[in-house]
Amino acid sequence: MTHLFIVDDEVNVLNSLRRMLLNVAGAPVLPDLRVSVFVSPVEALIHINKQSVDLVISDYRMPEMDGVAFLARVRDLQPDTARIMLSACTDMDAVVRAINEANIFRFVSKPWSDDELKSAIVQVLAHRHLLLENRHLANEVRCQRGVISRQQVELALLERESPGITRVRWTEDGGVLMDD
Amino acid sequence: MVVVSNAPGSDVRKRTGKRVEAADGMSVPKPDAGTGRLDDFAWVYALYELGQTVANGAEPMRVQQDILEHIVKGFEAQSGSIALLVDGTDDVLAIAAGTDLPPGTVGSRLPCGVGVFGHVVATGQPVLINGDVAETGLPLRLHERRDRLTHSAMCWPLRIRERIIGAVAVNRAPDVARYTREDLDRGQVLTSLLAFVIANHRMHVERENRIVELSTLNATMQRMNAALEETQEQLIRSEKMASIGQIAAGVAHEINNPIGFVLSNLGTLGSYLGQLFALLDVYIDAERPLPAPLVPPLDRARALREKSDLTFLRGDIDALMDESRDGILRVKHIVQDLKDFSRGGSEEAWETVSVHDALDRTLNILHNETKYKARIDTHYGELPEIVCVPSRLHQVFLNLVVNAAQSITESGTITISTGTEGGDAWIRFEDSGCGIPPENMDRLFEPFFTTKPVGQGTGLGLSVSSSIVQRHGGRIEVESEVGRGSRFTVHLPLRQAATPWSVPEDVQAGPRGTPVQCM
Ligand SMILES: Nc1ncnc2c1ncn2[C@@H]1O[C@H](COP(=O)(O)OP(=O)(O)OP(=O)(O)O)[C@@H](O)[C@H]1O
Ligand SMILES: [Mg+2]
Repeated sequence: MTHLFIVDDEVNVLNSLRRMLLNVAGAPVLPDLRVSVFVSPVEALIHINKQSVDLVISDYRMPEMDGVAFLARVRDLQPDTARIMLSACTDMDAVVRAINEANIFRFVSKPWSDDELKSAIVQVLAHRHLLLENRHLANEVRCQRGVISRQQVELALLERESPGITRVRWTEDGGVLMDD
Repeated sequence: MVVVSNAPGSDVRKRTGKRVEAADGMSVPKPDAGTGRLDDFAWVYALYELGQTVANGAEPMRVQQDILEHIVKGFEAQSGSIALLVDGTDDVLAIAAGTDLPPGTVGSRLPCGVGVFGHVVATGQPVLINGDVAETGLPLRLHERRDRLTHSAMCWPLRIRERIIGAVAVNRAPDVARYTREDLDRGQVLTSLLAFVIANHRMHVERENRIVELSTLNATMQRMNAALEETQEQLIRSEKMASIGQIAAGVAHEINNPIGFVLSNLGTLGSYLGQLFALLDVYIDAERPLPAPLVPPLDRARALREKSDLTFLRGDIDALMDESRDGILRVKHIVQDLKDFSRGGSEEAWETVSVHDALDRTLNILHNETKYKARIDTHYGELPEIVCVPSRLHQVFLNLVVNAAQSITESGTITISTGTEGGDAWIRFEDSGCGIPPENMDRLFEPFFTTKPVGQGTGLGLSVSSSIVQRHGGRIEVESEVGRGSRFTVHLPLRQAATPWSVPEDVQAGPRGTPVQCM
C-alpha cells in the first residue's frame, strides 16, 4: 500500500486531487493507494508523527506555515518520505527555498496537468523505492560481512515501516515521548 | 546755462525762408523770431505726434531718428545727434540717433565728461558753441572738436524727472547764421519735450518687454504646470503598476488555484462520463432482441453498474460540478475586479458607484495578501453612491489595506467601516498592527517616505493616495499608537465640485450647481 498525504488550504484543490488519484475508471496512478488530505499543515504534521507516509504533496502558501517550512519539518520527521511541492506561486524565491530548505523531489506548478502530476508521483515514488531498496541491500551486504548485526538490519527495516519507532523514548508510565 | 562763444558778434537773425516738414508730411511754418510762437506750437505738436507714434508700435530707433530730424529741421541745423546714457550706467553715453553721421556711429560709445555730450551730461547744463552772443565767464574748451568749431552748435541735456538721460545736439553750417542765446533757451523747452518723448518711448518699450516677459513667463508656468500635472499622473499610474506588481503574485495564486482544480475536475469528469457511457452502451445493447450472447446482456449491465458504483458517481459528480462552478466564478470575479482596478484607457472616467462595491472588489483582489495574516471585519454603514474615478479609488483602498496588512507581523485584525458625516462619506481602515511613531506622523504622506526594507516599499502609496483623494475633494486623516495599531480615515465629498479631473455633468450627482466645500 502506498500512503499519500496532500496538504492545501483550499478544500476544492484537495477534493479534485483525491478524485483524480482515486478514480477507478481512469488509469489508476498506483494500485492500492491511500490518500489523506489536510487543509492544515499542523494537522498533517500531527499525523505524520504517528504513521509512515510515502509521499507528501504540499501547497506553498498556507495560513499556518508555508509549504517550505512544512516540508522541511516532514523531512526531519520522516527523512525517507518523498516530497512534492504543488504551488501557484510563480516566484523563483519559493522554488529555490523549496529545493534548498526542504529538499523537495519535484516542484509542480498550479494550474497543474493531471497527467504530469500523476507521472511525477509515479516517478518520485519509484525513485524513493529504489533508494530504500538500495539501502536495504547495502545493509544486507554489510550484515553478511559482519559490519553490522542482523538486529540493526531489522531495526532499519522497522524504521522504514514506522519511521521514528527505533528512536522512540518511553516515559516511566509507558507513554511515548515525542520529540518535536 | 553755458554759452560758449567762438565768434562774438555774429548775426542774430539771419534766417532762411525755408519751411519745416513735419514727420506726417504736414507742412509746418518754419519757426521765426518774433512771430515764431504759432509756428513753434505746430512744430511742438508735430514733435508730440512723433512721440505718440512710439506708443502705436513704431520701431523705436526709427522714431528717435525721426524726432531728431524734426529737431534738426526745426533749428535749421545742418546735422544733429542724440546721445543717451547706456542703461544701467551713469557715465557711458551711446549715440542713439544722428543725421549726417558717418556710418557705424549710431551705437558707438562716448565716455562721460569728454566732448560736448560728455560735458553737457556731466554738468547738466546746455551749451551754445560759436553762438553769436559773446558770453563770458564760463568758457568751455573743446580741444578735440577744434576742427569743427567753426560750426555753430547747441547741445542740451535730456532730463526725465531731474535725472539726466542723455543729450541732444544740433550743428549749423559755418555759412549760416549762428545760433543765439534765444535759440538755446527755446531749445531747452523743446528738448524737455524730446526727453519726455524718449521717456515715453522707454516706458513703452519697457512695458512691451514686460508684457513679452510676462507672457513667456506665463507660458513657461503653464508648461511647468502641465508637466507637473503629467508627472503627477505618471506617478499615480506607475504607483498603480507597482502595487499591481506587488499583488500580482497573490492574484496569480488566486487564479491558478481554481483553474488547477477545475481543470483537474474536468479530466475526472471525462473519465466518469466514459464509465457512464460504457454502462449506457451495454443497456442499449440489451435492447437488441437477437442474437443472445453467452452472458445475458442485462446481467452484464448489472455487473458493470455494480462495478462503477453509480451512487458514488452521482454524489461525486454533483460535488465536482459545484466546486468547479465555484472555482470558475472566483476566477471571473478576480479578473473583473482586476479590470476595474487597472482600467486601461478610460482611467479618468468619473462614475457614480457604490463605495462598498469598490471596497469589496479591492478586498477580493487582496484576499490572498491578507488571508494569511489578518482577519478582515467590515462594518458598512449607510452610504449613497458617490461620484468618483473608480479605478483611482480602488488604488487608494488597495494601498490602505496593503499598508494595514503589512503593519501586522504575525496575525491581527483589519477593520473597515464606513459612514457619512455632514456632506462627506468616510471610509475607515483600522489595523491592530505595529502603529506609527509620532516622529513619522508628519512624514507619512511625503513621496518616497518608507520604513519598509528596500524592495518592499517605494514609499509612494500614501503620497499618491492622498493626492488622489484630494483630487476628489477629500482628505485622509491618520491616528496611530505604537504597539496598538493605526487608523486611516478617508473623507470624500458625497457630491463632487469641479476638480482637476473635470466631472462630466451627466454623472454629477444631485442638482447641478450645488456648491460643495472642498478642502
Ligand atoms: N497602517 C499602517 N501602520 C503602520 N505604519 C504605516 C501604516 N501605513 C503606513 N505606514 C507607514 O508609512 C510609511 C509610508 O507608507 P506608504 O504606503 O506611503 O509607503 P510604503 O508602504 O512604505 O511603500 P509602498 O506603499 O510604496 O509599497 C510606511 O513605510 C509605514 O512606515
Ligand atoms: Mg504602502
